[in-house]
Amino acid sequence: MSVGSKTIRFTLNGEAVGAEVPPHWNLVELLQNRFGLYGARESCGQGLCGCCTALVDGRAVSGCLYLAALADGTRVETVEQPAAGGGLDAVQKAFIECGAFQCGFCTPGFVLMSRKLLDENPDPTEDDIRHYLSGNLCRCATYPEIIEAVKLAARLRKKRDATADKRR
Amino acid sequence: MIPFELVEPRTLREAASLLASGDPAVRPLAGGTAVMLMMKMGVLRPARLVSLRAVERRCSEIREADGELRLGAMVTLSALERSPIVKNLAPVIVRASRTLSNVRVRNVATVGGHLAHADPHMDLPPVLIALGASVTTVDPEGGRTIPLETLYAGYLETALRSNELIAEVSVPVQGVRRAAYLKCTTRSADDWPALGVAVVLDTEGDAVREARIVVSAATDTPTRLSAAEEALRGARADEKILRRAGEAAAAAANVVGDEHGSAAYKRELLRVYLARAVKQALASKG
Repeated sequence: MSVGSKTIRFTLNGEAVGAEVPPHWNLVELLQNRFGLYGARESCGQGLCGCCTALVDGRAVSGCLYLAALADGTRVETVEQPAAGGGLDAVQKAFIECGAFQCGFCTPGFVLMSRKLLDENPDPTEDDIRHYLSGNLCRCATYPEIIEAVKLAARLRKKRDATADKRR
Repeated sequence: MIPFELVEPRTLREAASLLASGDPAVRPLAGGTAVMLMMKMGVLRPARLVSLRAVERRCSEIREADGELRLGAMVTLSALERSPIVKNLAPVIVRASRTLSNVRVRNVATVGGHLAHADPHMDLPPVLIALGASVTTVDPEGGRTIPLETLYAGYLETALRSNELIAEVSVPVQGVRRAAYLKCTTRSADDWPALGVAVVLDTEGDAVREARIVVSAATDTPTRLSAAEEALRGARADEKILRRAGEAAAAAANVVGDEHGSAAYKRELLRVYLARAVKQALASKG
């Protein structure tokens, strides 16, 4: 434990947790070093590429630019959070279906950002998708497949919602 | 990054007191996106960071008062982008916010931090200066009001003292004024701009009564372009007048080059973008 470490308590993927964090750690270091979660990974380190995306109180943030100590009292979600009902969610299924990745390094960030996009805008145009995901980089350049995957995920979610409505 | 102490005062005044020593190794932290970058680059090596996250709730409020739009310093850029109040009172701010950095940075970065950072590539300073905004500050004894136009002293430098924090931004409502903000990014859509131009016009019929024009990213500080404003005053903004305004702006502005473009290139961008911004403002409903 280094000088000035602080104990923080927060909710991580639905579970109440606590951790000792040095004040200069960022959220990615906290998730990797204390919880063994490697879905959020630091790539550009400047908030530009989206590989380190995590959700804090439901809002997408760049984990590389977010001080871990400030996660105290918040609700943190990562790509490791299981979908409701277990298994993969619509976005993950659509990414697989469309082959929307090659090496997969950027995929957790794209999955989380695509979910947020569809939460805010269930029926995005191609322009909306490009605009919302402009802060996520895929060095394998699977952008056309990613855009198709988001469109497919939007359709899958609508189908799911329609089925849920019928059951109600 | 090197270790530092992190403190979280409950009020802005208390935060200002914690900064009162004048020690450059003690710095405020709002959203932290710029501070984190500077620490990672080793440009900023703080011994202590004073987080503003836990200060008064009203610092995160957007409201209307005395014919002005009031933005708390801790309002996030995404709150600005989504606010019906901002959309109603100053729609140009909402339009400019949508192309500002990316979704994740907007979710965390704050209005106060954005203005106090004083990087000339930031998008809102030119827009807010063109609208005639001012900032209210808090220091250990009291505070003051500073027109945003006079806040910037140089590259990454402001007129704020080390124990002085922006509390609120007051923006005269846009009303019938027509406004536009255009920027040119030379690499990717969400890159830092090579040039930004904000234009706010008072119009009468198809003539410009008064113009406020501000350039950013191409100069060390966001700068009013009075020669270009003069060229537009009382005129119909036809191609000839726009060319004259663009020439006047390019001649008067102290344009500097950086990794986004050379000074000569940016001067050319200024000529072109100024005319485009005026046209867009005239074509807009607000």
